[in-house]
Amino acid sequence: MLILLWGVASEEPLAAVGAALDHLGVPTQVVDQRDVLDTEIDLEVGETVHGEVRVRDRRVDLSAVTGCYLRPYDIHHLPAVADAGPDGPSWRHADAIDECLLCWSAITPALVVNRPQTMASNGSKPYQLDLIRRFGFQIPQTLVTTCSAEVRAFWQRHDTVIYKSVSGVRSRVSRLRPEHLDRLDHVASCPTQFQKYIVGTDYRVHVVGDEVFACEIRAEADDYRYADQSSVMIEAKELPLVVEERCIRLAQALGLPVAGIDLRRTPHDDWYCFEVNPSPAFSYYQQETGQPIDGAIASLLVAGSRTNGQ
Amino acid sequence: MLVIVASRTDSHAQLLAERWTTRDARLLTSRDLSTKGWSHRLDNGSAATAAVVNGCTIASEQITGVLTCVPAITEDELPNVVADDRPFVAAEMTALLIAWLSSLTCPVVNRPTPASLMGPGWYPEQWLRAASDVGIPTCPIRRRVRRNGEEPLASGQRDFVAVTVVGDAYFGDADPKLGDRARQLAKAAGVDLLTVHFLDRGPDARLATAELAVDISRPEIADAILEHFARGPRC
Repeated sequence: MLILLWGVASEEPLAAVGAALDHLGVPTQVVDQRDVLDTEIDLEVGETVHGEVRVRDRRVDLSAVTGCYLRPYDIHHLPAVADAGPDGPSWRHADAIDECLLCWSAITPALVVNRPQTMASNGSKPYQLDLIRRFGFQIPQTLVTTCSAEVRAFWQRHDTVIYKSVSGVRSRVSRLRPEHLDRLDHVASCPTQFQKYIVGTDYRVHVVGDEVFACEIRAEADDYRYADQSSVMIEAKELPLVVEERCIRLAQALGLPVAGIDLRRTPHDDWYCFEVNPSPAFSYYQQETGQPIDGAIASLLVAGSRTNGQ
Repeated sequence: MLVIVASRTDSHAQLLAERWTTRDARLLTSRDLSTKGWSHRLDNGSAATAAVVNGCTIASEQITGVLTCVPAITEDELPNVVADDRPFVAAEMTALLIAWLSSLTCPVVNRPTPASLMGPGWYPEQWLRAASDVGIPTCPIRRRVRRNGEEPLASGQRDFVAVTVVGDAYFGDADPKLGDRARQLAKAAGVDLLTVHFLDRGPDARLATAELAVDISRPEIADAILEHFARGPRC
């Protein structure tokens, strides 16, 4: 059994899963993206998948890997790569290493948390929202438009409206306010997503295999992730069984062994789902609640490795 | 109306739209995604949409078929956008197209996935694995990335024999057995359009790779796509 951890080694979720695996006595290898310029790879794909990653003098036999936890950072933001610039050999080398490991993680028979192709659904939020509603969750009324008149009509109809990115880039929720009216015509240049504001209490649900870790979040901000953290209260909570099962089915349907699901419970006890995060930064919630999410992910990787016959 | 989603510089797509004039074919490019008129709605009952195609706003119900010729909107497509904002705008446009194309009930070839507007967006190695899984003999692919500045190696870059799948039909100067195998792979991948590359044209030729792009400048392929649209959505 060998678990590969790929990402920035000091990043909290990756470090936490690594520590949990150490605690279980499971052999691990970390491929730290900060070492990308000292990394080499051979990969051969035919009837089987073979390969080796070398970081300086250390070798990782990819054929021996039975489980993999991925938290790849945007490699272009690492100083050594960013400084080289897009035309430099370091940039191209980093791209090739990333591409190779993503390719391997897409085809290896090892359990991968989570495979790159299954992580992509979050790249189109309205696409993912359409999938979410098929699993019985309420979804906020949503408009993606290039037409300011449509936005005005939508705002008038729903009274309070938020806007956020359509893709996974610059994903931050903000409330539409009167001072935005002057800029509303700018939506003609770029499709923009608007949603009816749903009154209620936020929940973050981490699904790990068939385990569920839910917490309630209380904050005044439109997007608690970017709020003053002293004003954010996070507390572990039990979900109604039907909601818990819905979350597990949704994560499974999206092909995500681990998922972070954003819910809001209304005063009328309706459960809205906003999105499913395929690479959740669970450590933020774990620190506040004490929920052993890192241990659950480690156990999932071990169980998956055993299922693979290792 | 038929819609061809393409790069604004794709001359083959332009010619195809002209070839399909009698079917009211129109190009949808990145220009249309920065034009007033898009309205993609989602609520708990249904999705309702209006799109901008070749500068005109249309109801999605007017569309009878879509051919997608680009995997994503790229930064190169957006010369009029401030350079720093191009990656964001390109991602937003692609994300809208994924949602919109997925919501259409008419034939869309290929149906998008979150990874690509043109279908599964697989690595060449994934096509190889999919082929192996259905018993098609394959030629291994090797990648090698070195620190010394040596260019990354991707094996298998040579002249191949292409077989193009369009629905149930296939095209290519190759043994019929390869045509059957290409269709088998397309079916396994859940796509209607696929170009499969073999090492040679003989019946036992190994599969080298596959790609979602097809040569739409070939009249027989263009006609087959049109016939495919006429058959309506797959059940």
